[in-house]
Amino acid sequence: MKIRALLIGDIRFQFKYGFYLLYLLFTVIYVSLLYLLPGAWKKPAAVLMIFSDPAAMGLYFMGAIVLFEKSERVLSSLAVSPIKPTEYVAAKLLSIALIAVLVALGIGLGGGVLSAPFSFVTGVFLGSCLFSSVGVILAANIASLNQFIVATIPAELVMNLPALAYLFGWRPAWLLVHPSVCMIELLENGTLSLPAAGILTVWTLLAVWFAVRVMEKSLRHLGGVRL
Amino acid sequence: MIRVENLCFHYTKQPLIQNMSFTVDQGEIFGFLGPSGAGKSTLQKILTGLLTTYTGSVVVNGIEVKHRSSHFYEMIGVDFEFPSLYEKLSARENLQFFSSLYQTHQEIEPLLESVGLLQDAEKHVSDFSKGMKSRLNFIKALLHDPALLFLDEPTSGLDPTNSKMMKDLILREKAKGKTILLTTHNMYDATELCDRVAFIVDGKLRALDTPHNLIQSRGASALRYTYLEDGREVQAETALNRTGEDGRLHGLIQENRLLSIHSSEPTLNDIFVELTGRVLE
Repeated sequence: MKIRALLIGDIRFQFKYGFYLLYLLFTVIYVSLLYLLPGAWKKPAAVLMIFSDPAAMGLYFMGAIVLFEKSERVLSSLAVSPIKPTEYVAAKLLSIALIAVLVALGIGLGGGVLSAPFSFVTGVFLGSCLFSSVGVILAANIASLNQFIVATIPAELVMNLPALAYLFGWRPAWLLVHPSVCMIELLENGTLSLPAAGILTVWTLLAVWFAVRVMEKSLRHLGGVRL
Repeated sequence: MIRVENLCFHYTKQPLIQNMSFTVDQGEIFGFLGPSGAGKSTLQKILTGLLTTYTGSVVVNGIEVKHRSSHFYEMIGVDFEFPSLYEKLSARENLQFFSSLYQTHQEIEPLLESVGLLQDAEKHVSDFSKGMKSRLNFIKALLHDPALLFLDEPTSGLDPTNSKMMKDLILREKAKGKTILLTTHNMYDATELCDRVAFIVDGKLRALDTPHNLIQSRGASALRYTYLEDGREVQAETALNRTGEDGRLHGLIQENRLLSIHSSEPTLNDIFVELTGRVLE
């Protein structure tokens, strides 16, 4: 298994490209904002911040990473190396999820709104993996950043709107089949956290499976050299 | 090292590779030559295990490629035409990362030293010149000490000094017993480096032999000479194997009237055009 080597490589890459610095800055800004808000607003604001940024931003960051690797032709070298598409995708998801969990914990603890760490971390981790998988799926067959941004619009709408509706009080029980709603439920440690964790796990595994298939095809397409 | 028998491949109804058979021996430098769209890229993808839905047989180092596992990639190294490196990482960090993906590791320091990049090991790749990137890319393909190397246009875009350095590196790997498959549009490189070359056009193998045999087999070597006649320079030509029958040449030699004389063989490019009716660009 090459996941460890890939994971170290991804973390080094993300550090060098400033991801960690950027998120440190975000965390400081978000925590500062939480301190400025009235007490009753803190928890929903923190949930919104964590949902919209460390967790959901995986979609954009993952897309950016894959496009970077394409533009620097690194994917071509990886396609003819012993790594498997599953390992490539898993390392990417874990590296982004690590940042997401650290930043979410920073916001949650810094803002004083973290009450159920297990549910919270589960929601952020699974949500990050889900959004990052969508990022891989979108970026795998796209060549430019502009194309990628356009492609993310419908994905963002489908994934975010139900979650925002749920967060702002529209809470029919059936909405829990939506993965982002499950994420909100876990971040809030609501009464439906347990089924939400199960549903989100299923969605995440499906998205990861699909991302691996798409990346497998993409690596095959990239890997041949022009003789 | 490589045995290809009756290889056929198609994406659509139109075949991309048609009934191709050849072998590549261990320690050989084998060149693929052909115009764009000839099927070389597809052949490369098959040989490197990326396309496995072919018919016929492709055996690389004893492994039928369609049944390869990820371990297959431990024994092949690919040097792409354009650098495939993390630009914001240093040369050393790039090599460390790619090396970590393999079971076998060569020491990084001697590799960097061998291509004159040891003193630049900590520099970001984005600060490298094209020649430096090409050399780094080349040793990246050697990190796991593969028995088989695929080189894509290894001297493309390099200045004469870097081009010479790259060719020396390739010959050094050959001397170590590695098998090398390379492609180049540069006929001088092919003639200089390759033990054998294969001409590929429209998915078919049109010729396969040593560059020397291909050139000699056309029997077109000529002797060209110039001399003075009525105060102006005249050029004449005779087949190299019929110089004894050229009375004018004999006379000119006896009268010491030759201004210049040289033999002229067709180039590999001439042979390619003659055999395939196509140009390589």
